[in-house]
Amino acid sequence: MRLAFILGEIGSGLRRNLSMVVSVILVTFVSLTFVGAAGMLQMQINQMKGYWYDKVQVAIFLCSEGSTAAGCASGPVTAEQQGSLNALLESPAVSQYVNDFQFESKDEAYKHFKDQFSNSPIVDSVTPDQLPASFRINMKDPEKYQIISETFSSQPGVETVIDQRQLLERLFSVMNGASLVAVSIAGVMIVCAILLIATTIRLSAFSRRRETGIMRLVGASKTVIQLPFILEGVIAAVIGAALASATLWAVAHFFLGEFMSQQYPDTAFISSGQTLILIPALLILGASLAGISSLLTLRRYLRV
Amino acid sequence: MIRFENVTKVYDQKARPALDSVNLEIDRGEFTFLVGASGSGKSTFLRLVLKEDRATSGAVYVAGQNVAKISSWRVPRLRRGIGVVFQDFRLLPQKNVFANVAFAMQVIGKSRSVIRDTVPEVLKTVGLEGKEHRMPHELSGGEQQRVAIARAVVNRPGILLADEPTGNLDPTTSMGIMGILDKINQNGTTVVMATHDDDIVNEMRKRVVELKNGIVIRDEAKALYTSMIPVVGQSRRLKDASGRENPDAELRGEGEGQR
Ligand SMILES: Nc1ncnc2c1ncn2[C@@H]1O[C@H](COP(=O)(O)OP(=O)(O)O)[C@@H](O)[C@H]1O
Ligand SMILES: [Mg+2]
Repeated sequence: MRLAFILGEIGSGLRRNLSMVVSVILVTFVSLTFVGAAGMLQMQINQMKGYWYDKVQVAIFLCSEGSTAAGCASGPVTAEQQGSLNALLESPAVSQYVNDFQFESKDEAYKHFKDQFSNSPIVDSVTPDQLPASFRINMKDPEKYQIISETFSSQPGVETVIDQRQLLERLFSVMNGASLVAVSIAGVMIVCAILLIATTIRLSAFSRRRETGIMRLVGASKTVIQLPFILEGVIAAVIGAALASATLWAVAHFFLGEFMSQQYPDTAFISSGQTLILIPALLILGASLAGISSLLTLRRYLRV
Repeated sequence: MIRFENVTKVYDQKARPALDSVNLEIDRGEFTFLVGASGSGKSTFLRLVLKEDRATSGAVYVAGQNVAKISSWRVPRLRRGIGVVFQDFRLLPQKNVFANVAFAMQVIGKSRSVIRDTVPEVLKTVGLEGKEHRMPHELSGGEQQRVAIARAVVNRPGILLADEPTGNLDPTTSMGIMGILDKINQNGTTVVMATHDDDIVNEMRKRVVELKNGIVIRDEAKALYTSMIPVVGQSRRLKDASGRENPDAELRGEGEGQR
């Protein structure tokens, strides 16, 4: 009976304050979407680290037609220069840092390029001549990149030495920056949500002060008087969290899973299944947000 | 049932106390009028019984318990033992008569079947049978007050507090309400009614406690609104408290008493 009564009170409260309830839903929806987006970016970074860190290599690009680097003064790399670079790589001074290495010719480079950008029109405008040959080195310890760079960048026939890991690090720092921005926006939005929930509950308590006054007089317990208001906020916030969860899942499923993974087949995007672990976190966050702000509000505005 | 021991209530440090060293005992089953001019502290007295406010000093006992010692989570239990009726009825406008009375049972967790049995019974006691489905705005003031009384007593409290329950009603309707309060009192409920309606007090001939500026200046059994035997040295104060010429009021009181 008491439960049915409390549920009835919640229903009438939600109906009476519909526009405020809708705004609470929307604000929690937006704020938790940003929280979830930050979470997804971090998951994506971890995913890419796991996928790439054992695949990334240090690449020694060799001189080709039109290279302007200092080591390329004598024109495209000669077979002789290439041989001495190969010998240097096999020498004990260098090979102690190297797991293994391969030579990638211009034609192989063209083939990889074509695979990677298969559905991009840029493929048609690129010829094997434009792509440099390279040595691809798998490091024992990727942190020792500096040694390879110092040893090889001044060698004749070497255009440049590139640590692919550094390219990735640059990408990751951009993604980290983006998730920081998302967290900041989420923070502001969460403050909005807390204030809005507090205001909504205050209005709700005010519009029902007759009922709560009578409830007090006839000896209703604090729980029976306050619970409908608290649950009103919690229900609205949980609906907002559910919408945010659905949005994030849809982004992972349709945008990353179908669109982006076709555009960038080499990139390991997080799956929509992985975003499911964000859902309980968002629901709990939304519910506790509303619960805490309504408890604080009611202590001031709903005397028992 | 209710005992005030040297109770003082100060709302505002600069003003005089709303209640000033009040000592009073009301026994179980008594019917007591609390009379006095507006601002004399009647409502404050009732609020202290309900623990709506706390006494500045002194102790308030309700059913043997010092209310200052009741922890906040047990205050609801205290209030379940006390029914309250106000001058302005305080019904829920969007609920019908039945639902207004049932509300008092729902919020303390009474079962649906108990509510279905009890509410019509109580509505019959207050003379509202057949009006269960009326909305408050479809009722006269007297009928609305009957609904409020039904709501106050539906959980069978030991005490009924009424704060000027007839203040908005005409004399005939007021007498009807008094009949109901008397009947409730005869069933064993202690009734304390704050009023400044002299006709009613004179008609009922119950115990009268008179307050003036927060001080009890008279406590008399089977009394009239104004004292027939003025205590020496207090006659002037009595005259002021009632706001009327004493002989006038006494005459009217006697006239009704003889009817
Ligand atoms: N909440 C309050 N805050 C400050 N003063 C109050 C409050 N309630 C009552 N008072 C003062 O206490 C005195 C007694 O008031 P009250 O008990 O309401 O008298 P009555 O019910 O007899 O008219 C009055 O002077 C009134 O102004
Ligand atoms: Mg009053």
